[in-house]
Amino acid sequence: MYSYFRKLSRAVAYLGGLMLTVLIVMTCISIVGRSLNGILHSDAVVAMAPVLSHWLLDLGIGPVNGDFELVEAGVAFAIFAFLPLCQITGGHASVDIFTSRLSPRADRILQMLIDVLFACVLVLVAMQLFGGMLSKLRSGQTSFQLEFPVWWGYALCMFGATMAAIVSVYIAVMRVFGVMQGVDQLPEMEGADH
Amino acid sequence: MTDLLIGALSFPVLLCLIFLRVPIGLAMFTAGFAGLCLVNGSTLVAVARLKSETYTTFSSYSLSIIPMFLLMGHFATLGGMSQALFKAAENWLGHRKGGVAMAAVGACAGFGAICGSSLATAATMSRVALPEMKRYGYSGGFASATLAAGGTLGILIPPSVVLVIYAILTEQNIAKLFLAAFVPGIIAALGYVIVISIYVRLFPESAGTRPRMPYIERFKAVFDVWPVLVVFSLVVGGIYLGWFTPTEGAAVGALGTGVIALIAGGLTRETLGESFYVTAKSTAMIFFIVLGAAFYNGFLALTQVPQELAAWVVEQGLSPWIVLVLILIFYLVLGCLMDSLSMILLTVPIFWPIMMGLDFSFVTMAELHSAKLDTALSDAMVAWDGLLRGSIPSLSEAKFTKLFDESTLHMATLGLGTIADAGALTQDQIVAIVNKTTPEIVQEATNVIASGGELSRELLREVGIRGANEGALSRINVEQTAIWFGILVLIVVEVGLITPPVGMNLFIINAMDRSTPMIETYKAVIFFVVSDLFRVVLLVLFPAITLFLIPWY
Repeated sequence: MYSYFRKLSRAVAYLGGLMLTVLIVMTCISIVGRSLNGILHSDAVVAMAPVLSHWLLDLGIGPVNGDFELVEAGVAFAIFAFLPLCQITGGHASVDIFTSRLSPRADRILQMLIDVLFACVLVLVAMQLFGGMLSKLRSGQTSFQLEFPVWWGYALCMFGATMAAIVSVYIAVMRVFGVMQGVDQLPEMEGADH
Repeated sequence: MTDLLIGALSFPVLLCLIFLRVPIGLAMFTAGFAGLCLVNGSTLVAVARLKSETYTTFSSYSLSIIPMFLLMGHFATLGGMSQALFKAAENWLGHRKGGVAMAAVGACAGFGAICGSSLATAATMSRVALPEMKRYGYSGGFASATLAAGGTLGILIPPSVVLVIYAILTEQNIAKLFLAAFVPGIIAALGYVIVISIYVRLFPESAGTRPRMPYIERFKAVFDVWPVLVVFSLVVGGIYLGWFTPTEGAAVGALGTGVIALIAGGLTRETLGESFYVTAKSTAMIFFIVLGAAFYNGFLALTQVPQELAAWVVEQGLSPWIVLVLILIFYLVLGCLMDSLSMILLTVPIFWPIMMGLDFSFVTMAELHSAKLDTALSDAMVAWDGLLRGSIPSLSEAKFTKLFDESTLHMATLGLGTIADAGALTQDQIVAIVNKTTPEIVQEATNVIASGGELSRELLREVGIRGANEGALSRINVEQTAIWFGILVLIVVEVGLITPPVGMNLFIINAMDRSTPMIETYKAVIFFVVSDLFRVVLLVLFPAITLFLIPWY
């Protein structure tokens, strides 16, 4: 079960990584387009090769339209998609010096409380994100430049947020079992990289 | 309970949660959420805020720089740049006493220039340099300590993820902060090199030497680091010169290092997956802390705690320097327990309003007037040139004609002839003509500035200086303070990475070299910590080291 969730989280994180890569490439294309556009509009080029410059500009050489908005929407998707992996690997930064000498039982109880709290928060986050999506859907708000409906961005994020909520609930349930049976139900986590 | 009291109590509660191992982002989120509920008397507002707060926090253009920088750092590792850097540094320094360790520090500094994270720098360079140091007979503790300290250069030398967060929290210009971090970063590297040379003289048995390399080999190795230079200049230079936004710079850097890694054969389907994996974990961790911090700081701001605290500190009439030193000591202590990013997100929203209210007088009114006068004088000369040539590009034709007519009229009043047949005029006369005043007044203004004084309001108006008031001066000083404080904070929180008991860099390297007991690393790293502290004192005493590259006018 654990390894299943792990694989799932990893796959979701890869999707986020792909999105990030797409954004990076798009941003670079936009920079190149913007510079070319500037060069083609420059006095020297317009004077030397007016037809060519006009033709190229007509082809739409320039910055990617709305690149700013696409990065914002895309990166939100990527970050939500990264969350499940961080949950399942215990990748969140924490301070572990005052609690390192707890008895195994006390340690398990503390970890259970933390993970139950985490699950509550992530479920709440996902639910409210859904609520936010519905209200954007109702209001019909669109983005500034491309005028795509803002709720699309929310909808994309729902994917990662839901996965994160599911993974965190799974972890919390396993921790509760762990406390009840007095045996850890999950393998030791990788921990944070910081 | 008043809101202020709730806000003030939330901080100790939050610290307790954090020390109970609650992940820092979760602890801040919980404290902020509970606090909002208490202040509003119901959960409605806090829950409603969540509808948009997560999405708006995560869909931030300026924060999208973080995953891109993280990915860039990982690609840089795959592209073999760490090896190239280390080899170049080793060929130049390896034959000296402690030379291989110095080379490791130099390579860390170089890698820091394309990687925004200390942990990644420490981990990457260890993989390359640790075996090499062992081979030349370096003791395990000294080798690990060197690499742990060298790793902190990753965050100090731009680009730097922590600086990005600081810039966003204090609403400062990222490019200026990057530039300001550069010299302190170099000083840090030099400091570590000095520590190494002292250490190997105190403990000669802890290090060996390497044969001297011929110069041809040395230059060949330097040539091999060209990708690092290209990426660094493109990213940091491009951001600074305004070719692109910091986010675009990060994208260029990530694509650039990715392409280099691909050509070098380091980027395969498998390592790409690994890069995504590491980037995903760190990004999610950072953004969850950012979310928690946004929630907590939103709540704090509502309770007025940061404002009240700042006002209280100013009321005490303490010297700004004492306040600064206390804050830095607080960071040093907290840094022994917490990671740098969490610390910055937790404390900067509280400390920055305090710092903003303190007056360090980096720039005085007289200096501002002097700079403004210089600009006014040279502007006048440019305008005069334009009048002689018959056009000024920045003025429309109508405006130019107006200026021309007025100047001609004024010249007649002053008895200086006309523009067309103007003889050899002095600078004072020209400035007087353009600004419709007399050469004597211009002369007086220059004299006042030369004697270190401030210009009177009348003089300012006469020589055409605008925006030289208290407000402008305070804006300049706040920015200078922000940049200086940011770099100081960056350094003190990084000291935490190499201080026992929880210096993360120490753990990372220790995990790669199980044969060295932690205590040996602790013993050696103390020397580097001392060098860090020494540098903090230096930068506090001489703000100019940090600020001289940052133009304020």
